[in-house]
Amino acid sequence: MQTTLAKKICIYLAAALLALVIALPVLWLFIMSISSSTHLTTLPLEWWPDSPTLENYRSLLIYAENTPSQSFLYAIRNSIFIALAATGLSICAAIPAAYSFSRMPGPRRKNLLYAVIAIFMLPPVALVLPLYTVMSALGLLNTHFALIIVYCSILLPFATWLLKSNFDTIPGDLDEAPIIDGANRLQAIWYVILPIARPALGAAVMMSVLLAWDEFFYGLLFTNDIRSKTITVAIADLAAGRVADYGLISAAGILAAVPPVILAFFMQKTLVSGLASGSVKG
Amino acid sequence: MISHRKTVTAWLLLTPMIVMILGVSGYPLIKTVYYSMTGAKLVAPELTDNWVWFHNYIRALSSANFREAIWHTTYFAVISVGVEMIIGVMVALLLNEVFVGRTLLRAMLILPLALPTVVNAMMWRLIYNPDFGALNALLVQFGMLDAYRSWLGDPATALDMVIVADVWKNFPLVALIALAALQTVPKDLYEAATLDGAGMWNRFWRITLPAIMGPLSVALVLRTIEAFKVFDIIYVMTRGGPASSTKTVSFYVYQEAFAYMRVGSGASYALIVVLISACLIAGYMYLIRKHGEA
Amino acid sequence: MSSISLSNVTKTFGAANIIKGVDLSIEDGELVVFVGPSGCGKSTLLRLISGLEEITSGQIHLGKKRVDHLSAASRDIAMVFQSYALYPHMTVAENIGFPLKMAGKSKAEIEAKTNEIGTILQLLPLFERTPKQLSGGQRQRVAIGRALARDPQIILLDEPLSNLDAALRVDMRMELARLHRDLKATMIYVTHDQVEAMTMADRIVVLRDGIVEQVGSPLDLYLTPVNQFVAGFIGSPRMNFWDATTNENGDLLLPSGTALSLPRKLTAHQPVTVGVRPEHLVLAADDGTAALQGTVLSVEHLGSDTFVQLHCGFGDPAQVDINVRFAGIVPVRIGERVNLSVASLDNWHIFDAEGIRVEAAQ
Repeated sequence: MQTTLAKKICIYLAAALLALVIALPVLWLFIMSISSSTHLTTLPLEWWPDSPTLENYRSLLIYAENTPSQSFLYAIRNSIFIALAATGLSICAAIPAAYSFSRMPGPRRKNLLYAVIAIFMLPPVALVLPLYTVMSALGLLNTHFALIIVYCSILLPFATWLLKSNFDTIPGDLDEAPIIDGANRLQAIWYVILPIARPALGAAVMMSVLLAWDEFFYGLLFTNDIRSKTITVAIADLAAGRVADYGLISAAGILAAVPPVILAFFMQKTLVSGLASGSVKG
Repeated sequence: MISHRKTVTAWLLLTPMIVMILGVSGYPLIKTVYYSMTGAKLVAPELTDNWVWFHNYIRALSSANFREAIWHTTYFAVISVGVEMIIGVMVALLLNEVFVGRTLLRAMLILPLALPTVVNAMMWRLIYNPDFGALNALLVQFGMLDAYRSWLGDPATALDMVIVADVWKNFPLVALIALAALQTVPKDLYEAATLDGAGMWNRFWRITLPAIMGPLSVALVLRTIEAFKVFDIIYVMTRGGPASSTKTVSFYVYQEAFAYMRVGSGASYALIVVLISACLIAGYMYLIRKHGEA
Repeated sequence: MSSISLSNVTKTFGAANIIKGVDLSIEDGELVVFVGPSGCGKSTLLRLISGLEEITSGQIHLGKKRVDHLSAASRDIAMVFQSYALYPHMTVAENIGFPLKMAGKSKAEIEAKTNEIGTILQLLPLFERTPKQLSGGQRQRVAIGRALARDPQIILLDEPLSNLDAALRVDMRMELARLHRDLKATMIYVTHDQVEAMTMADRIVVLRDGIVEQVGSPLDLYLTPVNQFVAGFIGSPRMNFWDATTNENGDLLLPSGTALSLPRKLTAHQPVTVGVRPEHLVLAADDGTAALQGTVLSVEHLGSDTFVQLHCGFGDPAQVDINVRFAGIVPVRIGERVNLSVASLDNWHIFDAEGIRVEAAQ
């Protein structure tokens, strides 16, 4: 009995420690975001503002020319648009490809799949220079279009792979049946495979959006003003700004984190099982 | 008549993907190889190119700065991934036990994962702030530190502090993968081992670890590949400083090509990075082939 | 027309020859069963006919139309899968209506047809359910219903009853036989269960290693198997075999040394394999005329039948080498020596060294 009690205490201590380690940094970010900048630069540091304020959020979310809100709101808009468009484009190409890899296997197609995965893992520095010079030559730098296209190099292999490993779990009879029933391959995908794989499709869409939302490297290099700067670039700009308004920066960070965090919690189950199957099965 | 209707359909379905991949990855990769043997400049790269063969590579490999960047990257990758693996497995073991609040704790693991990398970097930069940061305040108020320190401004600590930020964001990934693997280990295996007289330590080394080794090794390689690309967190937290002490290879390529506008040598640096990554990716491919068909 | 003819059809997967040149013609309205051990290629052959797999060489005609270059969708063939392959996200009605939807039929037409099928198969009360909410037998009927939707000329069934329990299997067997009579469609039915094959088929195709061993009515196969493989595969318990030779007169030499004069004379001094079905052996008097003599190793009383396993002196003495199925209750005991003879001279099956049935010169 003694050992089990000791074990129990250890478990709860470890759990509490883990919870603190995860929560404290984010909690502090949140506290900073509702503090005034003078409060944050008082020494010694106080851990809770005497007058919590939403002023930082207000100055980011209420639009006004030539203020942080302008670049912030534009960045949010750009990021949403680019993430959705790149995801849409990638998923459209990934669905038939994943179907082909999963349902019509062949040795050469298998090697292609491995090549696609390998490309997904290449460091972006391997591709960025030619992409930059081409976009520059075409006058596409600082446009949404450039980033949408470039993000496909990340999202498309990822989505193809995720969908392929999910399609693999659908019994083979289920896509032969529609063929017998008179459907062509695209109809079989549309009417049978996709409805069955809807959870996986949802996961692929959401994780693609997350990937695009999180992207920074290409965003930093291919954009230079509010017309196309993404949220990650805007945050980096803010963080590096000369006027260090920590409260404002924190609020921007919190706001930028809200959409992905909500998405991730919403799809917790699929995320975890996706991670698991991705690492177990490839 | 031998028909290959199915094969044709299979390739037709792949065509949109192949075209896009070739456009956004295949062509750029080849072009990078081409650039790496020229003296191309960022401004009008086609006009100023001149063929230099392997000169860029020779210069890159003989550059002490670049070798230092490779060392920083390796250090960052090995330490951060190593710590992530250890903490991740420990957390997974914890979450595999039954206790009140387990589900909540598991859900909390998502938080660091979902936080955008740049926001994470910014958050830690604020925490480490030399004048008003929470870390300094905390340590001084608890008497563990005499005076405020510039954590990111000191070449001796900067890279380690960046690693802490990276570990905080990424250990949950390892934990979740390990946890999923742990839950596939049959309970009676432990019971049998207990009956056979195996203690906790033995049970971990002889049953638990071998059972989760497959997914864990995949996670290890996957994280290492990611860690080798590290850029965002460095850019936001330190910009490679102080005194280049956190300059990693990706950051080095970025500077060479976009700050100094030397596309040709930048490309050669990039390809050396690719070569190192390729070894890791090959390791990953080996693992997923071993653990089942992709 | 919905006859099917296969000429010299082959299929290879990589280096493996799965179907090694099959010639077969199936009449309009026939119910043909493909039977054989697992891995014999029976399912592959069915998939080649359906168009789900492409043939490597040869020709397939449906009626007068050559179809081997056509896609599965344009062959107008319906198929019932072993797993039923019901679309899990559709209701029963939608499942049955799916082929009609793919054929571009109007909503009203689809509804009329699905209702008609629902009536035939007694599925109407289940129309709004999804496959998950159905029992195994109901799923099976929905799968058949979907196959019937387009009024197909040809229906392929791939081990359709193998996921049902024994009692349900007998019911469904009869229902399928009734459907076949009513619809007069050509059906090909794949099974590894020779009882299903015997009870349902107009003709049975026995396959082994991608080759057709024999095609014939169930009784043809039972009475005159063309080779030792078919003889052993059809019938349960399995046919008894033992090695023997012939004497100079072309008569069969029995283990006791006596010669048996069969209606058909065999080649003199030829090594042969003798086959006798367990149900064709009867107890005989101990007067030296018995075909076989053996020791009883085990007895199973079923009431209607008595199964007896014997050792008759071919090989290892502890091993069973002869199975007997006596009708009714037969009082034999373990360890007892019994004499057996064969009920009729027609019940002797003689195979040559290659396992081919010996049809000796009369």
